[in-house]
Amino acid sequence: MNKKIWALLALLLALMLVLGACNNDGNTSSEDPPEGTTTDDGETDAEAEDTEETASFPLNVENEGDVIDGGTLKVALVNDSPFQGIFSTVLYEDGYDADIMEFASNAIFQTDGDFLLNGEGIASMEVDQENNKVTIKIRDGVKWSDGEPLKIEDLIQPYLIIGHPDYTGVRYDVDFQNIVGAVEYHDGKADTISGIEKVDETTLEISFNKLSPAIFSGGDGIWTSAEPSHILKDIPVADLLESDAVRRDIVTLGAFKFDKIIPGESVQFVKNEHYWKGAPKLDQVLVKTVPSTSISVALKTGEYDMTANTFSSDKYPEIEDLDNITVLGRNELYYQYIGFKLGKYDIEKSEVVMDPNAKMGDVKLRQAMGYALDVEQVSEVYYNNLRERANSLIPPVFKSFYDDTLEGYTYDPDKANALLDEAGYEDVDGDGLREGKDGKPLEIKFATMSGAEIAEDIASFYLQNLKDVGLNVTLATGRTIEFNSFYDKVQADDPEIDMFMAAWGTGTNPSPSGLYSKTAQYNFSRYTSDKLEELLAAIDSPEAFDSEYRSGKFREWQEYMSENAPIIPIQYRLELRPVNDRVKFYDIDYAGNFDLNQIELIAEEPIKSTK
Amino acid sequence: MWKTIFRRVLVMIPQLFVLSLLIFIMAKFMPGDPFTGMITPDTDPARIEELRIQAGFYDPWYEQYFRWISNAAQGDFGKSYTYKLPVSELLGDRALNTLWLALLSVFLLYLIAIPLGVLAGRYQNTFLDKTVVLYSFISYAIPVFVLALIFLFFFGYQLQWFPTSGTVDIKYDNGSLGYIWSKIYHILLPAITFAILGTTGVIQYLRTEVIDAKSQDYVRTARSKGIPINKVYSRHIFRNSLLPVAAFLGFTITGLLGGSIFIETIFGYPGMGQLFIQSISGRDYSVITALVMLYGFLTLLGSLLSDIIMSIVDPRIRID
Repeated sequence: MNKKIWALLALLLALMLVLGACNNDGNTSSEDPPEGTTTDDGETDAEAEDTEETASFPLNVENEGDVIDGGTLKVALVNDSPFQGIFSTVLYEDGYDADIMEFASNAIFQTDGDFLLNGEGIASMEVDQENNKVTIKIRDGVKWSDGEPLKIEDLIQPYLIIGHPDYTGVRYDVDFQNIVGAVEYHDGKADTISGIEKVDETTLEISFNKLSPAIFSGGDGIWTSAEPSHILKDIPVADLLESDAVRRDIVTLGAFKFDKIIPGESVQFVKNEHYWKGAPKLDQVLVKTVPSTSISVALKTGEYDMTANTFSSDKYPEIEDLDNITVLGRNELYYQYIGFKLGKYDIEKSEVVMDPNAKMGDVKLRQAMGYALDVEQVSEVYYNNLRERANSLIPPVFKSFYDDTLEGYTYDPDKANALLDEAGYEDVDGDGLREGKDGKPLEIKFATMSGAEIAEDIASFYLQNLKDVGLNVTLATGRTIEFNSFYDKVQADDPEIDMFMAAWGTGTNPSPSGLYSKTAQYNFSRYTSDKLEELLAAIDSPEAFDSEYRSGKFREWQEYMSENAPIIPIQYRLELRPVNDRVKFYDIDYAGNFDLNQIELIAEEPIKSTK
Repeated sequence: MWKTIFRRVLVMIPQLFVLSLLIFIMAKFMPGDPFTGMITPDTDPARIEELRIQAGFYDPWYEQYFRWISNAAQGDFGKSYTYKLPVSELLGDRALNTLWLALLSVFLLYLIAIPLGVLAGRYQNTFLDKTVVLYSFISYAIPVFVLALIFLFFFGYQLQWFPTSGTVDIKYDNGSLGYIWSKIYHILLPAITFAILGTTGVIQYLRTEVIDAKSQDYVRTARSKGIPINKVYSRHIFRNSLLPVAAFLGFTITGLLGGSIFIETIFGYPGMGQLFIQSISGRDYSVITALVMLYGFLTLLGSLLSDIIMSIVDPRIRID
């Protein structure tokens, strides 16, 4: 009997120890960073009040040490649910699948810093502007991971899948229909796409209805990756999504090839001996799903070498002080913005109709709101400076299109007040809030999305900003709105919304007409003007094949949008990638020449943090 | 008894039918649809509209419901909009994961709870009893995600005794001995967490029952006949005290089969709870309806199972 009691006691004691130990552990790690950051912030504040820079991160990291032979790179895919596991560029829909596919990419083009296709990849492209034709040539000797040579048929295969009547993805779109014969093929009237022609064993010619400079960004309907036709051509398109060819036994062109997949959990890649740039130095890459709750600890204890996707910026303080990793960062293809509802979308006519009496119709009111928002403080307080104030609707990554001279809307409440006074929004009844121009109370309804923990805080911060300049802005529906309802309401031009805060991930084609033209459904602020249409047309016009002309028009457009403020850019976001110190060299620069086959390791296992 | 079971199963059919109708309508009432999340500057709104029409989202709800129920009656629950797989295939994988986790959890739960409960009752008011009661209060009070995180960080990352995510190590081949062991190894930590959190009810019931039983006539009779105390406990009291616990067994098992969102998310374990939440936020209608139907069925089955277990454990109870 006594023995049993002691055994139980021991168990209980052990349990308490565990709890105690973890508490301690939790305390130290959660106490330390805030202390550090507060002093850090204090210092930067004192030193340089005006030059609040975004925390700067290197684009690449080099670690010294003797390289080991081969080795396995361990990669964490930060994801709270299993990945979908559709490994085909024409079929996948989930960004996580794309992150995994990076290691075995089927891309045939390489891009420069502006994401423009250059001739250094497997294929090179020549554009015949006069005849709306594009000629694509492939290198000799490129092989699929199963040893089959890459053929022109493999370049045609993606078009045959996307255009097929049984294809259920989103990629059969206006751009795709720009290919001559695509519509006929989709409607089942033709067996092939007439505009796509194999000239010889290494040359492909594609005819388009019209061509714009977007072709160099992979737009206008051109497809930038290949599919293994020797495997896919015998599988009916309707069965493709469930087939092993895209889920289990995947044949690719990239540095690594799929070896084993545990659906939703992990993928094991081995080196592709046939890789056209030369077999990788690593033996294997292991990608495994890691819940966001434990990714920081996993990096700390050296469970993984790096992440396959963005490391969330709100967790950055948890890994900031670790001494076994280097955190790389680059600008994301993303901007957050505030849009003002200025009209409606006429679905029958498929065009934007502006409302001359819209509540937000006065440009000075919109500008004033832009000046009233203290975006910099939000970046600092809520995002650890991992976001920065956006000045333009083109993310800075697009170096030759981005207008860095544009001031945008800096925090200036005095200017906001002056603009509002000028526009005639006076506080008539003396309650501290401005009335409309007609003297009646002005209530502006602001829609924001729920989701992130800090969404509510940020929304109330901005509301307070606006109240400081005397504007009565309240949350549409009274609270932050769930993602699906938010877009339902914004798309349907819900009268309950006067302004809204949302974001765009821009993709690599910077052409803005899909989001801001008169016919675009995604033109959520429903703003249009002749000048705007003219600029948008100019950006994608034949003259714009001259890159100087094009970037000039891009700048003009950015200035025009900033001046008229139908939507105001708020923040750009940084994309973080922690890399373990055992990786010899890694580079995330979009413009860089780094390739996955160059990765080398300098230790057998990832290095643990001593902190 | 068989007749009763048969009748109970028959009654389930209209119950499930009403459930399916409710769920279907409510799912359709949710704002957005599976395609809302696909809005990017690169997707063509016209194409999304086309896909919506193809999927039949613009048909009247009763048409959609009828189409769905008639397919479901033939075992075809449609395709997941998110995973692009037949729902039955998707559910099959996840359900199997959840099943193994649930079985091991139940096993561990009773392994911990039964001895503790019986001992606490037998040595009532001793130090041991108080310790057990304290333990059961603590385990009752700790939120799931807190204990799960503590266990994961301590046993998974700090001590590295257990794997930290997934269901199996990728290096083993399907079906090999290492593969099976790796699966069990991956389930162990989440199952222990599950078990520790679930013990309170069983311990408390058992303890109270044992305490009650001690003063019963049959115990005194047995003792006066000279049966050793240990035997009285193991034969007489234990069996009788187990009744209420057994009554809950059905519910416990089916409850666990529903999966736990927290445990599955924290341990990166692809099970049904996680799938359910994900399908709701992604508006994956076919998965939502199929899962709710399954949960409804499991609950009904659980109550039936409990009744059957009761009648086996306690010969006085007859279901008819």
